[in-house]
Amino acid sequence: MNTKPSKGVGQRMPLYDGVEKVTGRAKYTADLFPRDALVGRIYRSPLPHAELIEVDVSAARSLPGVVAVITGADCDIPYGILPIAQNEFPLARDRVRYFGEPVAAVAAVDEETAERALKLIRLHVRELPIIDSIAKARAPDAALLHDKKPGNIEREVHNEFGDTAAGFAAADLVREQTYHAAEVNHAQMEPHAAFAAWEPEREQLTLHTCSMVPYYVHKKVAQCLGIDTAQVRVIKPYVGGAFGARVETLNFEIIVSLLARAARGAVRMQLTREESMLTHRGRPESETRVKLGMTRDGRITACECEVVQRGGAYAGYGIITILYAGALLNGIYDVKNVKYDGYRVYTNTPPCGAMRGHGTVNTRVAFESLMTSMAAELDLDPIEVRRRNRIPGPSVTPNGLRVESYGLPQCLDKVEEASGWRQLRGKLPKWKGIGMACSHFVSGSAKPVHFTGEPHATIVLKLDFDGGISILSGAADVGQGSTTIVAQVVVEVLGVDWRRVRVITNDSAVTPKDNGSYSSRVTFMVGNATLDAAQKLKQVLVEAAARRLQVEPDQVECLGESFHVLGDPSRAVSFSDATAEALVDTGTLHVKGTFTCPIEFQGGKHRGGAVGSTMGFSYAAQVVEVSVDPVTCRVSVDKIWAALDCGFAINPLAVEGQIQGGVFMGMGQGLSEQTRYENGKMSAANFLDYGFPTMAETPPIEVFIVESIDPNGPFGAKEASEGPLAGFPAALADAVRDATGLEFHEWPLTPERIAKAMEAREREQRAAARKTVRQPATAGAA
Amino acid sequence: MQELDIVKPASVAEAVSLHGGAVGARYLAGGTDLVPNMRRGLQKSRKLVDITGIEELRQIAFENGALRIGAGVTLEALCASDLVRRHAPLLALAASQVAGPTHRAAATLGGNLMQDTRCYFYNQSDFWRTANEYCMKAEGTICRVAPSSSRCWASYCGDVAPAMLVLGAEVDISGPTGNRREPLAALYADDGLQHLKLGPGDLLVSVEVPAQSGWTAGYEKVRVRGTIDFPLAGIAVAIKREGNRIADLRVACTGVNAYPGLVPNLEAWRGKEPDEAFFAALEKAVRKEIQPMESTLTAAGYRKRVALGLARKLVGELFESAGA
Repeated sequence: MNTKPSKGVGQRMPLYDGVEKVTGRAKYTADLFPRDALVGRIYRSPLPHAELIEVDVSAARSLPGVVAVITGADCDIPYGILPIAQNEFPLARDRVRYFGEPVAAVAAVDEETAERALKLIRLHVRELPIIDSIAKARAPDAALLHDKKPGNIEREVHNEFGDTAAGFAAADLVREQTYHAAEVNHAQMEPHAAFAAWEPEREQLTLHTCSMVPYYVHKKVAQCLGIDTAQVRVIKPYVGGAFGARVETLNFEIIVSLLARAARGAVRMQLTREESMLTHRGRPESETRVKLGMTRDGRITACECEVVQRGGAYAGYGIITILYAGALLNGIYDVKNVKYDGYRVYTNTPPCGAMRGHGTVNTRVAFESLMTSMAAELDLDPIEVRRRNRIPGPSVTPNGLRVESYGLPQCLDKVEEASGWRQLRGKLPKWKGIGMACSHFVSGSAKPVHFTGEPHATIVLKLDFDGGISILSGAADVGQGSTTIVAQVVVEVLGVDWRRVRVITNDSAVTPKDNGSYSSRVTFMVGNATLDAAQKLKQVLVEAAARRLQVEPDQVECLGESFHVLGDPSRAVSFSDATAEALVDTGTLHVKGTFTCPIEFQGGKHRGGAVGSTMGFSYAAQVVEVSVDPVTCRVSVDKIWAALDCGFAINPLAVEGQIQGGVFMGMGQGLSEQTRYENGKMSAANFLDYGFPTMAETPPIEVFIVESIDPNGPFGAKEASEGPLAGFPAALADAVRDATGLEFHEWPLTPERIAKAMEAREREQRAAARKTVRQPATAGAA
Repeated sequence: MQELDIVKPASVAEAVSLHGGAVGARYLAGGTDLVPNMRRGLQKSRKLVDITGIEELRQIAFENGALRIGAGVTLEALCASDLVRRHAPLLALAASQVAGPTHRAAATLGGNLMQDTRCYFYNQSDFWRTANEYCMKAEGTICRVAPSSSRCWASYCGDVAPAMLVLGAEVDISGPTGNRREPLAALYADDGLQHLKLGPGDLLVSVEVPAQSGWTAGYEKVRVRGTIDFPLAGIAVAIKREGNRIADLRVACTGVNAYPGLVPNLEAWRGKEPDEAFFAALEKAVRKEIQPMESTLTAAGYRKRVALGLARKLVGELFESAGA
């Protein structure tokens, strides 16, 4: 073991589990399927909207090799991520509301039998009107998806902070524009998979699943099975990407559990790519109308914003999403007067959910686009305009959010200088352009989804006779690196050799509860809980060493693998001896660390004011350079410069990866990704047609880390993953305008969309030319 | 997926004999087209004749001024072949644009030339097609792209065929009824359902491509992403130039019809200068040849626009570079 204290944080190091993953040794849920488990398959609705008169499973049930068949009749307990909006059944009852909604499920001895059983299921239905767009949902005579939801509105939000009327009156320029963003899916690499084992003798269930929130899955599975949470154990193996796709309990997790109990055994379930995409929970299609007031020198005097989101068939996270879309109008610039109206609409499409940048992305894209457009009208540089609207110092936003650290100005400086912005903007050759935008995101929701009074994060360090430190963590590593971060924090505090440390994660029977990997809370909250635990363990060991050394604890210096008397290195005990001393009379040590966001960070007092509340915002600025092909109208992204204020980079290598990943995901939404529906039926549910970018479209991404050292983050750290995304689509459109002179208000900027705009301009130019020929006397009179 | 009977012959003769023209039997090479279609229930074949063990199909040779390329040569091998790069670089260029690198490592020339036609209503899962009442190409009766039409409008989306067409390739076919050689163009029919004129058990053995020397040639495809995607439209051009005049010109299209096709009647421009009248006539000729329908997620109008634009651009650029 090392003689010098090991360094933990601030180190560029590969992810703790990175080598296993890139070499294929890591086992994901489907790799762990027991060979003797039954095969579970879901029968899905072939219709987007229909009343279920009968679900006839008799033929399927009598097929030899079929062990269990379940339908909506087997579970009448609804579920949903928000306690106040649980309106989804694991298997549809009475009505189906989207194409692909689970209706029945079978467990059979093999895949072919399960497949044949599905083909034997008969549905008797009365078809209902398909409400597959915002316009149809809001039409005065529209059929309603849910009782007690008039107008198909899941939630309306209306709030005004400050005085927007006065703000607009004080402006020199007021502009308003509506922006449209297509629905996108997470397109995570690993399709959904789970297996459930019901132990009839003990009446206990063990569920392995690819979740980001094993705790919520645990609660909802117990709820829908009508059993005590004590009877459930949830294990999360490695997860192959998530991005919000698995941030709530998903129907298949409950279905596979119901099947296992019905079959009194183990059932495995591997969803196809199409099924994974139908499970959806992606970013909703949205219409965003923004109105900004600006002074001649670029100061924003007021903001008014209306957002309508096509939320899909069930509540899911919808209320949070529509609240986020308004809340994060604040917290990035110093705007005093902000009005927001949000409408979350029910439609016969798969339920949307919380996708990377939850709720905030399309609002930010619209805001940034209008801000840049107005800057151009006032002949101001867009970067300069953002500087003029910077938040002056630690402050509270009009809607009660606290800004404690703010590195946006440094982010702007970095990308402006590195990209050569001043030399390139407006000066590139025809068909080339450069654009920019900013964005931000929370470092964890300061108020948890389920309020329990418990700490927001808990970490346990176990130390036993062997001297090994087991970090017991419930934080769900879904590729973002939370396992690595907790190990780095423990090593930093204790200074111990890396080989002494193990991270044990996500087994509800072993690891402490964690709320889950959502709202970029883990580094901040779990990181702080880990820091607390490590400091406490250090104190225990220092006291033990002091006893052995027969000095007071404050006379002991910890060097990681040994403890010395201050000023006398010859008097030392090893880590092992300190551990042995610490175990005397107590035995195995379990040291617990916790973290709770103080109440003053938990948001404004208005209804929904907790959404958007956080202890620290990350800030990002990016510059994007593009070329547009005049023949194919295809946009190529040639270079990206992205800067992120993540407070402090506990692992700069991992932070760079997160920034690149976030920017890349924004590029997908900006360039080419969108879900498609044919009469309400999702029809590009595969990786060929969905169209996320590939390596071929990925330009060099130059990354800059800005460290503003947040006063509350662990070692000053904030989030690093979601913030960099939202700037991209706006920066892209800005760059395309610089290249083509065409302004776009709709994403993605597909070749087809750009071709249409170019054709429209060509038509206008031809018409203008004809007019000029006919009326030479008035031409150019302006 | 269904249970399969897979046989693996060692020679062309044995392959043809094992296939025997049996209903539902298919030749299997790289499988990059066939296997995904089988998984989606689009191909119900129960018997597969795996031809990847036949050495003869993997040969590339150059003799008598022509390249002879076995149908079992992978696209990766085709791209890397010195013979191909020297004598028909256009083929390597076109093959390098097929799908992604992992596909090209498995996919073969024969499979690419004969790949199934594609359509938004056809290349879907069994679940999706069941819910959408199928289409005439698989299990249904109407063409979902053009419901009042009596034909199938799925489009051919191979990248190598148009390049082969402009170089005047011929194909050798073995089958239960004997061997034959014919122009590549004769292999194709204007029918999304049956776009290949092959008899039961016919096996494409090799392709003979005259050397490219004297021609300046290029291939470009349009797709949403820079890799993996099939062409929304693809144009291959071969041109000969004498002074400021076009000595000869061939243009072929892919992705915009049920077959890869040469644009007819370009001979009329031999000996003429490529002025604006020529380019207008070229666009007109291409417009007449192609018929993209709403068979892709990208609108047909866009595919038409870029096919015309690409033809104009490629011919112009290649004429310039032929003079350099």
